[in-house]
Amino acid sequence: MRTRRSALAGVALAAVASLTLAACSSGGDDDNGGSESTDAVITAYGTEPQNPLITTNTNEVGGGNIIDLIYAGLVSYKADGSQELEIAESIESDDNKVWTIKLKDWSFTDGTPVTAESFVKAWNFGAAAENAQLQSYFYYPIEGTDDEGVILDKGTEMSGLKVVDEKTFEVTLKNPEALFPLRLGYSAYYPLPEAAFEDMDAFGKAPIGNGPYKLDKWENNVEAVMTPNEEYKGNREAKNGGVTFKFYTNPDSAYSDVQAGNLDVLDQAPPSALTTFKTDDSVQAFEAAGSVNGTVTIPESLDHFSGEEGNLRRQAISRAIDRKEITDKIFDGTRSPSKDFSSELMPEFTADIPGSEVLEFDADEAKKLWAEADAIAPFEGKFVVAYNGDGPGNKEWVEALTNQLKNNLEIDAEPKAYATFAELRTKVTDRTIGTAFRTGWQPDYPSVYNYLGPVFGTGAGSNDGDYSNKEFDKLLSDALSAEGDEMAKLLAQAQEILFKDLPAIPLWNTNVAAVAAKGVENVEFNWQNKPEYQNITK
Amino acid sequence: MWWYIGRRILQAIPVLLGSTFLIYAMVFAMPGDPIVALFGEKPVSEAVRSQIEQQYNLDKPFLVQWLLFLGNAAQGDLGVSFSGRPVSELLAETIPVTFKLALMALVIEGVLGIAAGFYAGLKRGKLFDSTMLVASLLVIAVPIFVFGFTMQLIFGVKLGWAPVTVGGDASWDRLIIPAFVLGLVSFAYVLRLTRTSVVENLTADHVRTARAKGLTDGQVNRRHVLRNSLIPVVTYLGADLGTLMAGAIVTEGIFNIPGLGNLAFRAIQQKEGPTIVSVVTVMVLIYVVMSLIVDLLYAWLDPRIRYA
Repeated sequence: MRTRRSALAGVALAAVASLTLAACSSGGDDDNGGSESTDAVITAYGTEPQNPLITTNTNEVGGGNIIDLIYAGLVSYKADGSQELEIAESIESDDNKVWTIKLKDWSFTDGTPVTAESFVKAWNFGAAAENAQLQSYFYYPIEGTDDEGVILDKGTEMSGLKVVDEKTFEVTLKNPEALFPLRLGYSAYYPLPEAAFEDMDAFGKAPIGNGPYKLDKWENNVEAVMTPNEEYKGNREAKNGGVTFKFYTNPDSAYSDVQAGNLDVLDQAPPSALTTFKTDDSVQAFEAAGSVNGTVTIPESLDHFSGEEGNLRRQAISRAIDRKEITDKIFDGTRSPSKDFSSELMPEFTADIPGSEVLEFDADEAKKLWAEADAIAPFEGKFVVAYNGDGPGNKEWVEALTNQLKNNLEIDAEPKAYATFAELRTKVTDRTIGTAFRTGWQPDYPSVYNYLGPVFGTGAGSNDGDYSNKEFDKLLSDALSAEGDEMAKLLAQAQEILFKDLPAIPLWNTNVAAVAAKGVENVEFNWQNKPEYQNITK
Repeated sequence: MWWYIGRRILQAIPVLLGSTFLIYAMVFAMPGDPIVALFGEKPVSEAVRSQIEQQYNLDKPFLVQWLLFLGNAAQGDLGVSFSGRPVSELLAETIPVTFKLALMALVIEGVLGIAAGFYAGLKRGKLFDSTMLVASLLVIAVPIFVFGFTMQLIFGVKLGWAPVTVGGDASWDRLIIPAFVLGLVSFAYVLRLTRTSVVENLTADHVRTARAKGLTDGQVNRRHVLRNSLIPVVTYLGADLGTLMAGAIVTEGIFNIPGLGNLAFRAIQQKEGPTIVSVVTVMVLIYVVMSLIVDLLYAWLDPRIRYA
């Protein structure tokens, strides 16, 4: 997951994505006059990369946007999240455990070929403890790593990776996983050229990739200039003359630049413009469903929140929340009430999963459920929801939510602020938080599974509430070895269990709220809520 | 005089030691683990954690971290930011931009503030004076970002006379609007300070004597009123350069100027100890140097204030 550590917080990540892309600009700028040009350079909002531009070490949006344009992986994703082979000629397995990957003839922009070694060495580099790479977590499914994806015993090579010949390698997983190929379009799995390993620090400043663009210039704190890579022969071919990310520390000033026509695309309208951007005549506005979700996690260790009593209380809380009111009044409709634990953009999304009615506001039902729980053991004390104050808007919605609980359940509920995201996460990871807290998820690859496995699986890395349910685990692992509709069905069944146990209360998904300058065309958002930069023209 | 300068420079050493210690203590006391923040919502392996802690000395006690920082800083090594870039490089990129901006703001506020204040003082109670007093009150009362965004909207977006944001090209002409915004609040103070001082001096004995000698109004005002009135103004302006450089955080954010303020903002967000301490130390240094220059200017403006 890529985090916008700063403003972001949690998951509040930015918004973005969409299939149904609704341009709500007032129109009138459709000139059809052929002003569209394939050599126009597109300027886009960006932030200074927080780390050197190394694929295995870039886990935030600023650097991630650049990395995704200058590298190509084994597979690529279409805007709707379905995947296509990119460098891979084939990715095959008989048992979903040992995968054989064959490569096409591609090369890096320095002319060296992309080989099996390019992948194996890059991944081993990313997973070795001594390199302390921020994306190491992503290698955890591969044999030879610990639960956090780092190579066991401070080793430098994963036992699960084997080069067969120059264009073939083999990946052995810890457990069978039918979805494994879906992960491979993520940046942690990109290849690195031989030049990278000679001096990784220097390479991070001037990376050599194999993607639709090459990085011409990275001027620190100012901009990253990319031009199309003529040698690229993948699925994401550049339809413009280049992309330049201009770096900002303040999205408000980027918005002003879009208004004045100095910046072509801003993928997250600043909070100050959320109420006005749709009616602003000086920009094109985009709004659509998004993949990032927001939840409140109630740890299993909290008094009165385990067992049958706990389930009743969790359901009561969920029913006591009027999601529609909060998304309308506090977020001005820029978030949509949750329909499940994932997002409707995911290919296996199923509407109306049995049990999902707990997401509907019903104060009477909520009171009844709470009373039933009280009959088992009376509730005393407060229900506290923790949040980080540095995330924009967190205070407002947490206050609104606890007020609703107060009014609708007649219990003592209150918010608790932590100054920073780091502080909140520290309390969560060392399990000393002692209250419910806000959480959220941005998918790493397009599948409902990605919202369930890493977050609610027993002992999973991001299972912050220590939820554990054997039946749920079983359905997940069955889903992983199934395919297509069968998999979607198993994932829906798994969610059915979640709706009963409610380890986290789903709240809403963050919508895409983006703007583009007048005259900019083909702005389309993908399942990750990011613009498909290579398609934008003007 | 040289002895005086030398002594002042020596005095700066304990100031710098004390301020780096305090800043380091504050960064250390900031809640939350920077490594957890670095990994976002993903779990961190113990092996990776200990590796990073070693790299940034985060595993050592606070006092040791501070001493290590000092020792390296004395040799010109300010450490490495989480982005893997030497802090000295980050400073070298950002200081010139902010210095240029602050200097422009200083010139704007100094020239305009002294001129307007001088004239207002001479015409005490008249329309110009009253207008300036009300205007300066308004400027002091309204937060700087309001002016920043308003000017950006009017001159950048609507009229298109100035760039909306500065970005990488921090040339003099592109910095005029941001410098004006940055200097606006101080302009109000300079104006009021000059005016009060001029009003006081107009009735002073030496001015009466000068008039009695038969000097023209212009000569009296320039040589005897203005020069004497400048003493408090110069003190203010001197200290203000430091304030401007530190206060550039808001202005640099609005106009997207890649300077020291932006660097400080990002470093604090990411809890990057070495970067924060280095940026603040630079700001302390500027204060120390500016107060030295102010003291020297004193001696020039008023020969009575000579140092023994």
